[in-house]
Amino acid sequence: MDRLINLKINGETYELNVKPNTLLLDLIRDEIGLTGTKRGCDTGECGACTVLIEGKAVNSCLVLAIEADGKNILTIEGLAKNGKVHPIQEGFIEEGAVQCGFCTPGMILSAKALLDENPNPTEEEIKKAIAGNLCRCTGYKKIIKAIISAAEKMRRRG
Amino acid sequence: MSNYFAIGKPIPRIDAIEKVTGRAIYGDDLRFPNLLYGKVLRSKYAHAKILDINIDKAKKLLGVRAIVVGKEMSSVLGGEAIMDYPFLAIDKVRYVGEAVAAVAAINEEIAEEALDLIEVTYEELPAIFDPLKAMEEGAPLIHEGINSYRHIPVIKPIEHSNICHHVQFVNGDVGKGFNESDYVFDDTFTTQVVQHGAIEPHVAIAQYDPTDKITVWVNNDGPHRLRNDLSKALGIPSTKVRIINPPYIGGGFGGKGGLKEETICIALAQKTNCRPVKILLNREEVFTSTITRHSSVVRMKTGVKKDGTIVAREVKVIYDTGAYAEKGPTVTNQASVAAAGPYKIPNVKVDGYCVYTNKTIAGAYRGYGIPQVAWAHESQMDIIADKLGMDPIEIRLKNVLDEGDICPTGRQIMTSIGLKECIRKIQNDSNWKKVHKKAIGRGIACAFKNTKTPSGSSAVVKINSDGSIEILTSSVEEGQGSKIVLAQILSEELNVPLCSITVSSPDTDVTPYDASSTSSRTTFHMGNAVKNAAKDVKKQVLEIASNLFKARIGDLRIENGKIYKIQDPGRKLSISEVIQSKYRSGLDIIGRGSYYPEVPSEKGGMWASPSVFWMYGAHGVEVEVDTETGRVKILKVVAAHDVGKTINPVTCEGQIEGGVVHGIGTTLFEEMIIGEKGEIVNTSFLDYKMPTALDISEIIPIIIEVTHKDGPYGAKGIGEMTLVPTAPAIANAIYDAIGVRIKDLPITPEKILNNLKKT
Amino acid sequence: MLRKIKEFEYFAPSTLSETISLLAKYKGNAKIFAGGTDLLIQMKQRKLTPEYLIDIKNISELNYIKYNEDEGLKIGALVTHSSLANSEIIQEKFNILAEASLAVGSVQTRNRGTIVGNICTSSPSADTPPALIALDARLKLISAKGERIVKIKDFFTDPFKNILKETELLTEIQVPNLPPNSGGAYLWLPKITAVDETLVGVGVVITVEDLTNKICANARIGLGSVAPTPIRAKMAEKFLKGKRIEDIICKQAGEIAANEASPRSRAEYRREMVKVFVKRALGKALEKIN
Repeated sequence: MDRLINLKINGETYELNVKPNTLLLDLIRDEIGLTGTKRGCDTGECGACTVLIEGKAVNSCLVLAIEADGKNILTIEGLAKNGKVHPIQEGFIEEGAVQCGFCTPGMILSAKALLDENPNPTEEEIKKAIAGNLCRCTGYKKIIKAIISAAEKMRRRG
Repeated sequence: MSNYFAIGKPIPRIDAIEKVTGRAIYGDDLRFPNLLYGKVLRSKYAHAKILDINIDKAKKLLGVRAIVVGKEMSSVLGGEAIMDYPFLAIDKVRYVGEAVAAVAAINEEIAEEALDLIEVTYEELPAIFDPLKAMEEGAPLIHEGINSYRHIPVIKPIEHSNICHHVQFVNGDVGKGFNESDYVFDDTFTTQVVQHGAIEPHVAIAQYDPTDKITVWVNNDGPHRLRNDLSKALGIPSTKVRIINPPYIGGGFGGKGGLKEETICIALAQKTNCRPVKILLNREEVFTSTITRHSSVVRMKTGVKKDGTIVAREVKVIYDTGAYAEKGPTVTNQASVAAAGPYKIPNVKVDGYCVYTNKTIAGAYRGYGIPQVAWAHESQMDIIADKLGMDPIEIRLKNVLDEGDICPTGRQIMTSIGLKECIRKIQNDSNWKKVHKKAIGRGIACAFKNTKTPSGSSAVVKINSDGSIEILTSSVEEGQGSKIVLAQILSEELNVPLCSITVSSPDTDVTPYDASSTSSRTTFHMGNAVKNAAKDVKKQVLEIASNLFKARIGDLRIENGKIYKIQDPGRKLSISEVIQSKYRSGLDIIGRGSYYPEVPSEKGGMWASPSVFWMYGAHGVEVEVDTETGRVKILKVVAAHDVGKTINPVTCEGQIEGGVVHGIGTTLFEEMIIGEKGEIVNTSFLDYKMPTALDISEIIPIIIEVTHKDGPYGAKGIGEMTLVPTAPAIANAIYDAIGVRIKDLPITPEKILNNLKKT
Repeated sequence: MLRKIKEFEYFAPSTLSETISLLAKYKGNAKIFAGGTDLLIQMKQRKLTPEYLIDIKNISELNYIKYNEDEGLKIGALVTHSSLANSEIIQEKFNILAEASLAVGSVQTRNRGTIVGNICTSSPSADTPPALIALDARLKLISAKGERIVKIKDFFTDPFKNILKETELLTEIQVPNLPPNSGGAYLWLPKITAVDETLVGVGVVITVEDLTNKICANARIGLGSVAPTPIRAKMAEKFLKGKRIEDIICKQAGEIAANEASPRSRAEYRREMVKVFVKRALGKALEKIN
């Protein structure tokens, strides 16, 4: 039995008919057409499908689309504003934290959730925040460096 | 000659912006009209005859458009080394997870439901899971057709057996060598089955057109190789097969090469009246039905003099390749060549065996068989050093290859060896000299790795009349940085700004031949091809410019995309202006370049020649062992790698750091557990654990540059080498810390505690 | 076997009474849906195929952490692991629970998964039950017939099975106030990597007579992942009573606790680790008594 839901994704409102068994991940990728959020494992272990719901990082492969009714969702496509990339995205580019890029959207969003709440995290706090985002390419070092650099930029720019 | 403006510079990757903004397109992001979704029915048995497959009920399900079973393609067998691989199981299944039937339907739910309605009748056969048992006389044959399979000349299957390849290298006389030795060491080491763990799963879309040409969009690391494999398997000209890569692949590490799910897509697409069929493997299928890393048994017998000089080494290497050969035979070859380690050894004998078992297929995996032999030779090196009372670094420095030495198998004279430099970097690290604290230890390991030789690469460089430049290449960007490296090489060679360059992704109808983006070969081979193409296009541009400037070509320079005469540097014209001066209504300048290494003899063809370059590296690891729990904490890793010449140091460091963590994972955490019936027990990331950010330590990547005369700007390669020395370095550090020697990977807390109890 | 989730009917009641009615109506064909981090995986694996899903996340009256000196701590069914770990009152007064919640998965899992959900899934390796056992927690179960309070350790019956009836909802966790001179700690050993299922989980709450003599007035030890259900190490607790909490005593308590465990896989190692972690948790709990 389809249900009509209203949700805000990256600041834009959508009204959609969804089946209860549709996953939020599939809604975002197929219905809305935002393919930046990735499918990696389907069991909430790899974090490639991470989105922010009301500012909190969740695995969208384990969220039903129907529960997103009335919620504010941020995907990777919503981070850059007016053609200008977010300091976290800048940090990832500058520090060489991107290799295959598949974990990158989820990783950046987990970093955003952290920095929005904790603007000056320790390295240990950063590791905890991204522990649910698996990366096989980078070994995490440059990702951590990128997040530290982004935090500094964000503090400076206020 | 190191005043480069692009080479060796830490330039941000050109693909990074797409990736950080979510605009990078991967296989599952491609969209197709009229798409059908394919799902695969897989065997629950490790070894069984297929007596019957009843698809009557499945056919009737509303929304099903095609069903296919193996018998319909019974004449099709694929495989690069040995052609033993059916697109779907034909008369029997050989591993749990093998494709038996497939359905294409209008959506995934219906395709899945249809699978439920297919009835397969099996007759179980005795299954073998132990490669040593599979090698025994009288063991049930997994491939009855082993005598008749086509294969490349360098591969030697043993008739009527489960040994699909045996290779032997002999240099000198090991028997004599052992007799002359003061000590002989004989140790056996084993490694486990592990997953590649690329975060992006496998995906393929296949579509026939009305002329019977098949196009496949697939995240495959060797599009031209795939095209050749498919055209051979299907018996059709290669122009009837088109492979298109999505712009990016989400990691490969060797797991996305050869024939995978695209074969099933093609089988289905033959029946869908030119509608495209897509198969996206779920993570479980990636575990059970793609490929894994070969598990191994390596017996290493080494004779040394009391001063630590290695006199003789005999190695027996057994690789368990699972149900089909895949890359197993060439893995066995490559690893056997390197099995004795990067050492001067006058007497060497290596026997490499590639063995079938009824398990998930093992194939190409970062390191291509060399992590397994390095695990053996570097662990044993420390066993030897310990017995002789020698420092582990000193014994290695004493024996490692030097410029001009003959490699252990006697096949080639070795040049461009930065191994001593790598080892000394670890020796000079501050932690190495510190006094031991309880349960803290350090270990070192070094290794070398070859590249498949001969193999060829071609590239086209196209300058458009607006001055924008395209590299047409079949190199695959799967995270290793091929796009930025090739762009930097072009930028340097042609002296143009990087921002004017775009690098294509592969389309075999358009981008010229490349053997594959594997074997750490892209920088060297495609880099040379791009360099040659750049030279070609530069010559053509300067010819036009010489008319325009009324100057000899020798007096012209290009700098930052602008051309001028050295006698009049004030007057500069852009490349675009130069091109348009001749071709006012539009034309481009096309340059082509190729690289195929000079090889001593073409007898034997693919994989037959000594490696055109070798990579060298050494890892120093410091660990702390919790003697109550047996858990090992990695405190620090110093990873020194000789890359010849780094094109992009940040990308290089990234590869080293990533490889080290990958290596730590496959040493301490990862193991694919095989159940009693040959099934993989842990088929998800819930219970197959790769390192997270919380599991990493301090890592110091060190780049050593001992140039190679034939590499572009002296460059060699890096990608696979970075996880090779990690496992033995960790094992050696653990021995240093607590006197426990583990010879079987993975190193688990239980193994440590059990061994501690014994000491 | 991962598959598309089978179709179901979805309800999102906004009151508790609506929820109870739905449960009564659909009984075993309905599942309560809160965080879904376990439920949805099981539905993808077709281990569970409920015809009805009752999403309780709109019932704001279930989302609370309340504390007062008399009644102690009360945690509502919708409190996520993240909220619990971030709660000041939990960090200050029931820190062991914050530690246990932080042991659960990753940030993404903790933002969705609820502590009540963790209890209802009843995995033998769950992290919060041993801590709740150490805290002597009770659970409030509500159905159309009324409500009942059960002790946490009586809730679990078998791996992934508990005493919750098909028509019942677990709405609240009640934790009594800790007596003065008490401290608690939750320590765990992951199976393999840092973000992983727990191999051995130990929750300990000890009360000492006073800080100088460190004599144990009371001890409660909860063990996770070493038996078919989370258990209490009663004999180890008995051993500790009246003794001075020091290294040798902690070690012996660990050895006794290890004998109370009945792990199935990696059994020998798990028993060894019970010894180690009970010992370490006791030491940590003592440190926390400020």
